[in-house]
Amino acid sequence: MASPWDELTLAFSRISMFPFFDIAHYLVSVMALKRQPGAVAVAWKNPVSSWFTAMLHCFGGGILSCILLAEPPLKFLADHTNILLASSIWYIIFFCPHDLVSQGYSFLPVQLLAAGMKEVTRTWKIVGGVTHANSYYKNGWIVMIAIGWARGAGGSVITNFEQLVKGGWKPQADEWLKMSYPAKVTLLGSVIFTFQHTEHLAISRHHLVFFYTVFLVVTKIVMMITETATVSSAPFEDAVSRILFGWQQQISPHEKKNEIKSPFRSTDSSTSKSIAGNSDKVKKKDTKKTE
Amino acid sequence: MELLSALSLGELALSFSRVPLFPVFDLSYFIVSILYLKYEPGAVELSRRHPMASWLCAMLHCFGSYILADLLLGEPLIDYFSNNSSVLLASAVWYLIFFCPLDLFYKCVCFLPVKLIFVAMKEVVRVRKIAVGIHHAHHHYHHGWFIMIATGWVKGSGVALMSNFEQLFRGVWKPETNEILHMSFPTKASLYGAILFTLQQTRWLPVSKASLIFIFTMFMVSCKVFLTATHSHTSPFDVLEGYICPVLFGMTLAGDHHHDNHGGVHGGAHGGSGPSSPHSAMATKSKEELSEGSRKKKTKKAD
Repeated sequence: MASPWDELTLAFSRISMFPFFDIAHYLVSVMALKRQPGAVAVAWKNPVSSWFTAMLHCFGGGILSCILLAEPPLKFLADHTNILLASSIWYIIFFCPHDLVSQGYSFLPVQLLAAGMKEVTRTWKIVGGVTHANSYYKNGWIVMIAIGWARGAGGSVITNFEQLVKGGWKPQADEWLKMSYPAKVTLLGSVIFTFQHTEHLAISRHHLVFFYTVFLVVTKIVMMITETATVSSAPFEDAVSRILFGWQQQISPHEKKNEIKSPFRSTDSSTSKSIAGNSDKVKKKDTKKTE
Repeated sequence: MELLSALSLGELALSFSRVPLFPVFDLSYFIVSILYLKYEPGAVELSRRHPMASWLCAMLHCFGSYILADLLLGEPLIDYFSNNSSVLLASAVWYLIFFCPLDLFYKCVCFLPVKLIFVAMKEVVRVRKIAVGIHHAHHHYHHGWFIMIATGWVKGSGVALMSNFEQLFRGVWKPETNEILHMSFPTKASLYGAILFTLQQTRWLPVSKASLIFIFTMFMVSCKVFLTATHSHTSPFDVLEGYICPVLFGMTLAGDHHHDNHGGVHGGAHGGSGPSSPHSAMATKSKEELSEGSRKKKTKKAD
């Protein structure tokens, strides 16, 4: 009855990522690298370093998942075609005469197309990560979620670490602390796909792949068109965090007021909090001084 | 008669070393570990603003020893996270400690007699982890003494050895302070325990493993409970080290084991060319211990 629909989603979930979607992923990743201040100068002065950073941007998620699963972190280098593809994209983006590629990329429909295709690869990566982790740990659904997340969004963790090693990174701007929108969405997707894999979610995989990919692409494109960096899931998140962590957020301003006005509720936590806050400020001052 | 008592003691040790750790002892391990996380400056604020990062820190505090040991032995880093029940238990403890209404759970746990019980149980887990870690390393490397010691040490001291990375998750990056520079009592005790257990494993120490576990657990429990009860941060090894270090390393450790007042003074006194680096390391160590001590005093006051 719903066979055309089934066939459509099945066919969609069997699309090979290799030439076009991978190209889009590399294009978006390397362009993100190029937008960073100083990246072009580094590419001219020290091409090898720039190439390595670009590879980290392109294959970061896979590297993180390999580290977590104790596989060789350099496994990605064994895939010659993908490496060559990513390298050539890095080359034409940074060294193309007259910056043709960058100018072409700054045309909005091209950007939308590339970003949408990149989001498609994200779904495939999450599914691959979850399945791969399941082959190691049959019941370890926390591991499956973690690996799915690492494959999908772990690249930013790796690139942050790379910047830390280079010395140009402020830990306050950490991926963990901010949880950027892709990281959150990937976490959600990884949870969903894990539940699907452990058959807690009664929906066939190709349907789920289709829906999740459509969701990713649509939100990404809407965000790019409206140019909002803020998250479309913000109201939902607010609700959840109010349920889970809410009373504390409501209490904490009161407590601060109480400390100033009348300390009739000076509980352990508030004093420890104020001390912690003070020392935090002191620390920040110290780091500023050293900077 | 003597035989009988020895037999019963041996049986006691044997049955003690076979007590299952999972629900109760592990729970107290998680509680004490996350309690220490909450003592860290800025941890409470972090949990309000970024619950995910705080949760990850809590997991590192609970399972840091496994992660580090897995890293050293080349096993999957998230191996331990396949124990769903442990992770869920630790997450529940994290949630209760940080987000319980009116901080009830935290207050209950911080009540000193309760806390002493939990601390004692945590030491039981620690000693057992050292023993298991050395057994595990022995399984991989039959004659690798140093590997056994390192694995046992890492298993025993847990998150302390990776405190830099743990701080990184909280947005603090201070490479100049780390655990190796100022080893706390649990870290040192884990190291010595790891050496003892390694000697036992390679049959240089003529005792059974069960009785060694029993004796070392008793030692750790009594030391740690005493230290926690008296709020002191001196370690029982200080006296011994005061005698041994001058002999072995030829240092004038006048200020080291009672460095409360003049810890940083002898940094400038030694400007020698050859052995200057250990001296300066000692000076920074004592300075950092000072600041660490004052910080801990502050948190204690907050209690």
